[in-house]
Amino acid sequence: MAGTTQTLDISPVGRVEGDLDVRVDIEDGVVVNAWTQAELFRGFEVILRGKDPQAGLVVTPRACGICGASHLTCASWALDTAWGTEVPRNAILARNIGQLSESLQSLPRHHYALFMIDMVNKNYKDSKYFEEAVRRYSPFTGTNYEIGVTLSARPVEIYALFGGQWPHSSYMVPGGVMCAPTLTDVTRSWGILEHFRKNWIEPVWLGCSIERYEEIKTYEDFLNWLDEKPEHANSDLGMFWKMSMDIGLDKFGVGCGRYVTWGYLPNEDKYQKPTIAGRNAAMWMPSGTYDAASDSHKLMEQAFCREDMAHAWYEETGPTHPFDRVTKPIAKNPPDFNGKYSWATAVSHQDLGRLEAGPLARQLVYGGNHTESWQHHDGLVLDMYKKMGGASVLLRHFARMHEFKAIYRNIEHCLREFKLNDPWYIKPKEKDGQGWGATEAIRGALCHWIDVKDGKIKNYQIIAPTTWNVGPRNSANARGPIEEALVGTPIKDPSDPVEVGHVARSYDSCLVCTVHAHDAKTGEELARFRTA
Amino acid sequence: MANLLWLQGGACSGNTMSFLNAEEPSACDLVTDFGINILWHPSLGVELGNNLQQLLKDCVSGKIKLDIFVFEGTVVNAPDGTGTWNRFAGRPMKEWVKELSAVADFVVAIGDCATWGGIPAIAPNPSDSVGLQFLKKNHGGALGKAFKSKAGLPVINIPGCPAHPDWVSQILVAVATGRAGDLTLDEYQRPKTFFQSFTQTGCTRNMHFAYKVSSTQFGQRNGCLFYDLGCRGPMTHSPCNRILWNRQSSKTRAGMPCLGCTEPEFPFHDLMPGTVFKTQTVMGVPKELPTGVEKNSYIKYTGAAKAAAPKWAEEDMFVV
Repeated sequence: MAGTTQTLDISPVGRVEGDLDVRVDIEDGVVVNAWTQAELFRGFEVILRGKDPQAGLVVTPRACGICGASHLTCASWALDTAWGTEVPRNAILARNIGQLSESLQSLPRHHYALFMIDMVNKNYKDSKYFEEAVRRYSPFTGTNYEIGVTLSARPVEIYALFGGQWPHSSYMVPGGVMCAPTLTDVTRSWGILEHFRKNWIEPVWLGCSIERYEEIKTYEDFLNWLDEKPEHANSDLGMFWKMSMDIGLDKFGVGCGRYVTWGYLPNEDKYQKPTIAGRNAAMWMPSGTYDAASDSHKLMEQAFCREDMAHAWYEETGPTHPFDRVTKPIAKNPPDFNGKYSWATAVSHQDLGRLEAGPLARQLVYGGNHTESWQHHDGLVLDMYKKMGGASVLLRHFARMHEFKAIYRNIEHCLREFKLNDPWYIKPKEKDGQGWGATEAIRGALCHWIDVKDGKIKNYQIIAPTTWNVGPRNSANARGPIEEALVGTPIKDPSDPVEVGHVARSYDSCLVCTVHAHDAKTGEELARFRTA
Repeated sequence: MANLLWLQGGACSGNTMSFLNAEEPSACDLVTDFGINILWHPSLGVELGNNLQQLLKDCVSGKIKLDIFVFEGTVVNAPDGTGTWNRFAGRPMKEWVKELSAVADFVVAIGDCATWGGIPAIAPNPSDSVGLQFLKKNHGGALGKAFKSKAGLPVINIPGCPAHPDWVSQILVAVATGRAGDLTLDEYQRPKTFFQSFTQTGCTRNMHFAYKVSSTQFGQRNGCLFYDLGCRGPMTHSPCNRILWNRQSSKTRAGMPCLGCTEPEFPFHDLMPGTVFKTQTVMGVPKELPTGVEKNSYIKYTGAAKAAAPKWAEEDMFVV
C-alpha cells in the first residue's frame, strides 16, 4: 500500500567485518530512512593506556586482522613523529611493500568472498548473467571463487618475506623495520608478484595485459575496452561490470558526495625525518578531499578531524578533535534510534562535514590538480563519476578493484629501489611527545594519535575508515555516509534484503576497528580513552 | 559430510584471514574434497538478518545437526555479565555460544582470543572477555572447567595470534576423516602434534643461539634475538619454524622476536613500560630462561658457548 512504512531490523548484515546491524524504513519497496549500528565493543585504548610506548605496535594490528599492516604503519609513523626519528630509505620501502601486499591480497579476497557471492542470490535469477554467475561465483565451489580466494593468499607471501608472517606481524618499528632482507627475499618476491599477475590479474581479472588496461583513461576508453575483445567482456572485470549494470547496481548506494583520503606510501627520499606537518608533501599517493557539489579538491590535515557523540553510546556530544577527546560512555547500551544507537562516533571535517572514506574517495582525489607533479594522478574514476551521475554500489566497487594497477606498480618500485647493503633501522631515542600516523587501509582513511608522557602511553586514539563511513547521526541529526547511501535502495524481498548487503559491502565496512572503549565498573577513568 | 558453523565474538577476523591462506587443503578444498559443509561464517556466509537467526535456531534445536562449532574471538561478558557489548543476531553472543556448544560434536577455539582471552583480555580487560574454556592460564572460561562436547572432548584450543591456517585445517581434516581419536591434547588443550615442540625448533638463528651471538638491534641479518630483543622462541610451544608462515618465513627468520603468542600469558608482562622487544634481565641474566634450563646451568653453558664460538658465528651468515 502506497505510503505505508515498513521497518526492517537486519541483524546481522554479515560479510562486513565485525557485527553490523541495520534498521531501514521502507516505503513502496524503497529505503527511505536508515540507521547503522556497530554492535561490538572490545576496548583497545583502555588497554593501551599506561603501557609501553611501543605497545601499539603489538596491540593495534590486532584491532583488525584484515588491515593489520595498515594499523602497524600508523602505529610506527605515529611513534616516529612523537620521537623525532630518522627512518632509512630501505625501511620506508619495506613498510610500503608490507602495506601494498596486504592491499593487493584484499582485492580478490573481497571481490570473490564478500562481494560477488551476492550475484548468485535468487533475487537475480531473471538476469541473463545469472547462470554464468552461479558457475563462477558460488561460495567455495564456484570456478572463479576458488581461483580468487586461493590466489589471494599469494601477495601476503611477499609480506611474510619482510615481516615473517601475515596477518599480525610487528616488523615496523620507530626508526625503521626489524628485517634486513637478502637478495633471495627480493627475487622471490618478484617471482610471487609475477605469479599473481600471470595467474589472476591478466587471465582471470582483465583478459588482457596490465599494460593494455593502463591505456584506459576515460569512461569511453573503458567501454571501448569492454567491447574490444571477447576476452575483455568475459573477464571477471567484464562480468562484474555487465551483470552489475544489468541488475541495477549503478542505480543506488549514492552516499554523501564528499570524500576524504589521508594519502599513503611515504616517498622514500622525502620522509626520512618524519613530521606531522611535512607529511602531505611527502606521499606518493596524495592526501585530499573532494566535494562533488562544488567539484573541488583540497588537502586534508589531521587538525580538521572532529568526532561527534550525540547518537553514540557516550555521554559527551562534541564535536571534539581526537587529541582532546574526553570520552564519557553510558553504562548500558540499549538501542534508541531517536537517541543513542551505536558504538561508532560521527566523524567529520571541521568545514566539509561528513565525508566518505575508502577506495572511491581515493580515486576521486587522485583525479584532482591540487597535488604535486610527482604524486600519483589518475583521472579515470573521477571521469566515470561525473559521466555516470555520481557514486553507486557499482562505481564504489569498481574504484576498489581499479586500484590494483597502482598497487602493483608500487610493489615493483619497492623491489627495484631496495639497496640491500644500506641500513634498515636507525635506533631512535625514546622521548615524550605527541605523534600522529596515517595511511590508507584498502578500505580507507586510517590514523592513530598517540600521546606519550613519562615514558608511557597517556592517550591513544584511532579513527578507522569505518568510523567515517558507518558512524551514526551527528548532533545536527545528519545521517552518516552509509546511512545516507542506504536511502534510495530498492528492496525486492524484505525477507532477504540482499540490496542492503550490497551497499554495506561496497564500503567493505570493518566494525572491528570502530569498536570503542569504556569500563562499566570504573567508567570515568577509562572513559578518557577511546580506540580501535 | 560434517556441518561446520563458525562464529566470531570479540574478534579482529585475523584467524579468518589466516585461514583463507590455507593450502593443502585450501578453504575451498575443505568443502569440495573433505565434505565439510560450512553452514555459515561471518565473512563468507550467504544469509543475513532473519534467515541467519533461523539457521542458528535450527542448529540449537537439533533440526540441523551441528558437527563442528568453531569460535574466533573472545566471549564478551560486559557490562555486568550481560554480554550486550557484543550483540549478534538479535541477542548477546555469549548466549549463542553456550547453546551452540551444547549441541556440537566438536568445539574448536581458534586464536588466542577464543582460547585464553588474548589481546582484549589484557588488564584491565575492559570488555570483561574470556576464552571458551580458559582465561589466561585459569581453567574455566565461558563454558566452565567440566565442559565436554558431545564427542567427549573438551574445547580443542588452537592458539596463536593468529592461528596458522595449517593448524586449523589439519585439525578439521582429522575430524572430517575420522581421525579425531588420534588427537592428543596438552594441559592447555592444545593439539600436541603442533604444540609440543618450540618456536625455536627450526629457527635459522639457532646456531647464533648456540654460540651466544646476539642481535643487539633490529635490522641485523645475523645473531639470536633471545639475548637482547626479548624473543620468546626457546620457551614458546609452536611449530612456526617447521610449518612456515605463508609458505615462506617466520617472525624470527625475518628478524622479529617471537612474542610467545601461542602461550596463555600472551602478551607477556601486560606490555608494561620497558618490556616490549627488550629481554628482561637480572645482573645480565635473562629473567625467563629457555624452558627447562636452570640459572646456574645457563650461566655455565652460555659462558662455554661464547668461548667456543667460531669466528664465522660473529660474521654475517645470511649475506646479500
